Amino acid sequence: MSKNKVSIHNLSVDQISNLSRLLALALIIVLGVIISDSFLSVENLTNILTNASVLIIIGVGQTIAIVTNGPDLSSGSILTICAVLVAILMKSFGIPYPIAILAGLSLGALIGVVNGVMISKVGIPSFVSTYGLMWAVFGFAYVLLHGYVLYDFNSSFRFIGNGSLFGFIPMPIVIMALVVGLGIFVMTKTTYGRRFYAVGTNSVCAKMSGINVDKTVILAFVSSGFLSALAGIVLIARINAVQSDIGSNYLLSVLATVYMGGASTEGGEGTIQGTIIGALIITIVYNCMNLLAVPSEWREAVIGLLIILTILIDSFAKKRAEKTII
Amino acid sequence: MNKENVKRFIKSVPPVLWAIIILIIVFSNFSKNYLTYRNLVIILQQTSVLLVVASAATFVLISGGLDLSLGGVLTISGVAVAFALNAGLPIYVVFIIGAAVGFACGAINGTLISYLGLAPFIVTLGTQGIFFGLSLVLSKRQGISISNETFIKLGDLINGKIPMAAILCGILFLFAIFVQNHTRLGRYTYAIGGNREGSRLSGVNTKFWHFMVYAFAGFLTGLAAVILVARLEVADPIVGSQWEFEAIAAAILGGTSMDIGRGDVKGTLIGVLLFTIVRSGMNVIRVPSILQPAILGTILVLAIVLQVSITNRRINHE
Repeated sequence: MSKNKVSIHNLSVDQISNLSRLLALALIIVLGVIISDSFLSVENLTNILTNASVLIIIGVGQTIAIVTNGPDLSSGSILTICAVLVAILMKSFGIPYPIAILAGLSLGALIGVVNGVMISKVGIPSFVSTYGLMWAVFGFAYVLLHGYVLYDFNSSFRFIGNGSLFGFIPMPIVIMALVVGLGIFVMTKTTYGRRFYAVGTNSVCAKMSGINVDKTVILAFVSSGFLSALAGIVLIARINAVQSDIGSNYLLSVLATVYMGGASTEGGEGTIQGTIIGALIITIVYNCMNLLAVPSEWREAVIGLLIILTILIDSFAKKRAEKTII
Repeated sequence: MNKENVKRFIKSVPPVLWAIIILIIVFSNFSKNYLTYRNLVIILQQTSVLLVVASAATFVLISGGLDLSLGGVLTISGVAVAFALNAGLPIYVVFIIGAAVGFACGAINGTLISYLGLAPFIVTLGTQGIFFGLSLVLSKRQGISISNETFIKLGDLINGKIPMAAILCGILFLFAIFVQNHTRLGRYTYAIGGNREGSRLSGVNTKFWHFMVYAFAGFLTGLAAVILVARLEVADPIVGSQWEFEAIAAAILGGTSMDIGRGDVKGTLIGVLLFTIVRSGMNVIRVPSILQPAILGTILVLAIVLQVSITNRRINHE
C-alpha cells in the first residue's frame, strides 16, 4: 500500500492526469463489456471507431484552437454550413463533388479567418465571439436549406463516408488517421506547433520573443474551421443526408472530448493524443447508452455532467499534484 | 461654451443609442403603425423577459465571468413552474418555486466557479447541457400547457392595453438596478470584476460574493421564467435556446465589459432596445422569417465587434 503511494508521488503532474484518463477509458470499456456481450465484437469496435472519427477530426482542430487561445464554439455550426453548401452544390447545381468539397473546405477556413480576426485584432474573448458567430452561421445554414432535407448523394461522394480502403478499413477512419497523423506532426515537430503552445501559455511573452501572435491565433482558428468543414463532409457522406441542425449536437461533445483529453481552460496545454482518448470515451458512453436503450433526451444532460466531472477531477488532480511537488 | 456642451452631450450618448434613434425613424417611415401605442406595447411584451435575463447576464459579466447556462436555467425553471401550476399550487408559491429553481441552478454554477475555481465558460456550457437535458427529460420533449386563467393574466395584454408581462419585468429590472446600486452584492460585483485579489485583501469575502453573483443571476432568470411561461401559456423544453447569447449580446451592446468590471444594468436596457427594434423592424419591412435569424445574428456579431473596439479604444485613451 505505502509502496504504491510513493510511486504515485514520483509521477509528474502530466503523467498523473494522463494515467487518470487512460484509467477512465479502461473503466468505461469494462462497463461496456458488462452491459453487452457484443461490445467487444469486431463489428461494434469498428463501429465505435468510425463514429468517433468525425468527433476526432473536429477535435483535432478544436485542440489547436484551445491550446492557442480558447474554444471554437462555432465548430458545430461550421460543420453544418459547409456540409449544407457541399450538398447544395452537388444536388442543386450538379457541380462535380471534388469542386463542391473544395468549396466547402474553403468556406470552413474562411469562417475560421473571421473568428481569428475577431479574437486577435478586435479583442473579443473567443467564447463570446465564436458563440455569437455560431448563431449567425446556423441562421445562414437554415436559409440555404430553407428547412428542407437534402439526401441521396452520388456514390463516388458517398465513398468518403461509406466506403472502405482495401475493402476493410472504413474511409472515415482512414481520413481521421491522416488528420491525426498530420496534427500530431504539426503540434510536436514544427515551429507552428511550438508557436501555438507559446501563444497559449503566455501571449505577451510570445509576442516579445518575436512570434506574430495575431497570425498564430488566426491560423489556429482557420485549422479549426477547416477541420470542422472536413468533418461535416465525412459526416454527410456517411449518413447520406443533410439538414440544417446536423451539427448542433457537436458543440458539447467536442468540448467534452478536448477537455477530457487534458486540454487546459487557460490555454497552452493539451495534446491530440489526449483528444483521441476523450473522443473514444464520449463515443463509448453514447454507445453504452444506445445498448442500454436510454432515451435520447438524456444525452445532453449526460454530456454536460461529463464535462463538469472531467474539469473537476482534472483541477483536483492538478492541485494535489502541485501540493506534493511543493 | 455652448457649442462645447452640445459636443460633449453628443459624445456622451452611446453609439448604440444613435443607431436606435436612426432605426426608429427609418422603420416608422416604412409603416404608419410602427409608432402606435398598440404596436409599442406588443413589442414591450415580447422583449421584457429578455431584459430581465440580460440584467442577470450583466451582473455576471461585470464580475468578470460569463454565464452560458442562462437559457437552460430559464427553460428548466419554466418546466418546474408548469409542473407546480398543474399540481394546483397557489400562484405565489409558483413564483417562489421559479425563483428557487433558478437560484439553485445559479448556486450550482457559483459553487463550481467560485469555490472550486473552474473556468466559467466551460462550467456554464456543461450546466447548459444539464439544464436543457433535464428539461427535455422532465417534459418528455413536449410543451406543457398551462390552463390556470389567473396565472395567464399575469403575462397577458389585458384589454389590449395593460402589458402585464412588461410591467412585471419592469419591476424586476428596477429591482436589479436597486441591487446593483444600493446593496453589498452590487458593489462587490464591481470589486470582484475590477480587482479580485485587491478586494480579497481588503477583507471582502470574495468567494462568497462571487458565488452570490451567479446565484443571483439564476434567481432573476428563474423569476423571468415564471413571467415567460405566463406570457406564452406553455412551458416549452426548447424555449430557452439562444437566450443566453441574446442576453450577453445585449449586455455587451449596453457597454458592459467583462475584462475590467465596467458597465451597468441600466446600459443593458439600451442593448435590449436595439435588439427589439431590429427584430420588430424586420417584420415591418417584411424580411422573410426564414432570413431573420441569420440577419439578426450577423447584426449582433457586427454590433459586438463595433462596441468592443470602441470600448477598447476608450480604455486605451484613459
